[in-house]
Amino acid sequence: MSSWNLAWRNLVRQKRRTLLMGSVVAFGFAAFALAGGFIAQSFEGLKEGTIRSIGDLQIVDKRAVARNEESTLEFGLPDAGRARSIAARDPAVAAVLPRIEFVGLATNGAKSVPYLGVGVDPQPEAAATLARELVVAGRYLSAADGEDVVLGTGLASALGVKTGDRITLMATTPDGSLNAVDGVVSGLVDVRIKELNDRYLAAGIGLVSRLLETSETVSKLVVFLRKGSDENRVARRLEQSLTAAGFPIAIRHWAELAVFYGQVKLLYIGIFGFVGAVLVVIVILSAAIVMTMSVTERTREIGTLRAIGTRPAGIQSMFLAEGLVLALTGCVAGGLVALIVRAILNASGIVLPPPPGATHGMPINVKFYPLAYFAGVAAMAGTMLVASWFPARRASRISIVDALTHV
Amino acid sequence: MQSTGRPLLLSARSVSKSYRLGAAIVPAIRDVTLEISPEEFVAIQGPSGSGKTTLLNVLGLLDLADAGEVRVEGKKAADLSENAKSDLRRDRFGFVFQTFNLIPVLSAEENVAYPVALAGKSAAESHARAVELLSAVGLGEKAAVRPDLLSGGQRQRVAIARALANRPAVVFADEPTANLDSKTADEILDLMREMGKEREVAFVFATHDPRVVARARRVVSLKDGRVESDTGTLSGGSTPPEESRRPPGGIPWRVRE
Ligand SMILES: Nc1ncnc2c1ncn2[C@@H]1O[C@H](COP(=O)(O)OP(=O)(O)OP(=O)(O)O)[C@@H](O)[C@H]1O
Ligand SMILES: [Mg+2]
Repeated sequence: MSSWNLAWRNLVRQKRRTLLMGSVVAFGFAAFALAGGFIAQSFEGLKEGTIRSIGDLQIVDKRAVARNEESTLEFGLPDAGRARSIAARDPAVAAVLPRIEFVGLATNGAKSVPYLGVGVDPQPEAAATLARELVVAGRYLSAADGEDVVLGTGLASALGVKTGDRITLMATTPDGSLNAVDGVVSGLVDVRIKELNDRYLAAGIGLVSRLLETSETVSKLVVFLRKGSDENRVARRLEQSLTAAGFPIAIRHWAELAVFYGQVKLLYIGIFGFVGAVLVVIVILSAAIVMTMSVTERTREIGTLRAIGTRPAGIQSMFLAEGLVLALTGCVAGGLVALIVRAILNASGIVLPPPPGATHGMPINVKFYPLAYFAGVAAMAGTMLVASWFPARRASRISIVDALTHV
Repeated sequence: MQSTGRPLLLSARSVSKSYRLGAAIVPAIRDVTLEISPEEFVAIQGPSGSGKTTLLNVLGLLDLADAGEVRVEGKKAADLSENAKSDLRRDRFGFVFQTFNLIPVLSAEENVAYPVALAGKSAAESHARAVELLSAVGLGEKAAVRPDLLSGGQRQRVAIARALANRPAVVFADEPTANLDSKTADEILDLMREMGKEREVAFVFATHDPRVVARARRVVSLKDGRVESDTGTLSGGSTPPEESRRPPGGIPWRVRE
């Protein structure tokens, strides 16, 4: 008679109570597994969204890592075309997008509004990022050296312009003189952050270079990798090849740039942790009650077992084994529940609201996330052990004589 | 001790124990001195509340005396750790209770095998021992049955088999017949006597039951927690000759006043 078998039989003896406690464990486990899968899915969506806007890697001038520019393109990358083609040669690189970041004033002739501008190469930009999906009116930029300008909806309304209207962009060039170019509003975008919508402006890199009187200098090169490539290895390769070609560059990773992603992730982990803690407390409390009832009911049996030679530790492990067996069977039941609920949810086609920072909602797709299942088993087993510990210890320390006369 | 023949199995010297009931202190046994040799068949009798159960518990290492000294095969009870006492009960003692106290989730056979497995024996050996004992107590057919489907007499037979499972030196039985009808009680007592003789095991009873007293070779009478009389081993059949039991410098079974 193994102690597991004995534990199992004692659990079966108390059918109703075991069923009740088992359901609590199963529910706790299922919640763990499903929430884990859901959060894993959200992280993945968020990560994908983040990478689609800022790239996997960014190539910047070394100086730009530690300091902010005091004037436009102060730490720009010169000879960007050559750098771009060197980077694009790496087999793991899917796209290299030049970006020029600049500030200035936009005017409709009567009114001037400050903007935060970005110069892009429209075709590859639209292919690799969500730029085109953000357009709410008109169309996205068409060519790198055209006159097209895309405005955030807030900026457009501040200027009182609509698609097709002409505006003038003013900016300070890197050498300090003031310059202006004309553009045509081709479309309006909603970048989902109000403050940015009120200031956002994008234009082809050719138009921006004319405005800033530069050529072949960009703020950064945004690199998109092919699926499944090793970000760190590619970063090392790019750094080597570009440095060898004479570029004083540094490579930045998406994770260090995506402050927002980190914050949202922390928030999710916080929520998950809180819900998990509440679950654990519920399971601990109910399990402690159930175990205490069990010990009290079986006092005379404990006295008998002690009398015929079971050591205190033997009694303790008997109840701990019951807690563990309950946890594990509860997890098996909970796993089945989780798989069924997951199948129902995934088949339901419910569309979730977009996670923070994402542009559109995704149909619910709770992933099967093995780590969440393992964590669920560990959490439930740990919880049941903790909950059984004190009742089990009390059982082991019971006075034999009192226990034998217990009614 | 070996030189004087059989060693003492159990000895109590000036043992006292009282219980606290609220503010009052109730003495349960007072200044009891008693020695029990291997293979004795002893009945401890006395009116209700005279301390029979308390004495049995103290001798059986289920409870500690407040004063005095209890020894089991020469070892001082007070010096033994909880684990050592557990192991000693497992290996040298058997217990039979008034209420049978079988483990409800275990079959008759598993109940008997439990202490054997507890002593670290293999499953095969525990099983073999349980089967042998169950047929010895006349329950060979009921091996797979759970206690709740057995009659009182059958349960007590399983309990006796369990008590004998690790080939103990002594079986303690507190009112083992109190929950049985008189015919069954007779059968159970005969079985215990037979088993005791066959397997060279001492039996110590705490009882009111005249049937037990009638079968006992030695009767110790308690009154108000004191030993009132002790017949010694006068009617002893399987007990060794007086000479060999006499501890050096002492007279056995004499009531200490
Ligand atoms: N746990 C306890 N708490 C308080 N008093 C107790 C306890 N156990 C026994 N006593 C008291 O100790 C005395 C001896 O009790 P004990 O149970 O040893 O007597 P007994 O001879 O076995 O009686 P019975 O024939 O009724 O079983 C009694 O006065 C009893 O009330
Ligand atoms: Mg009693």
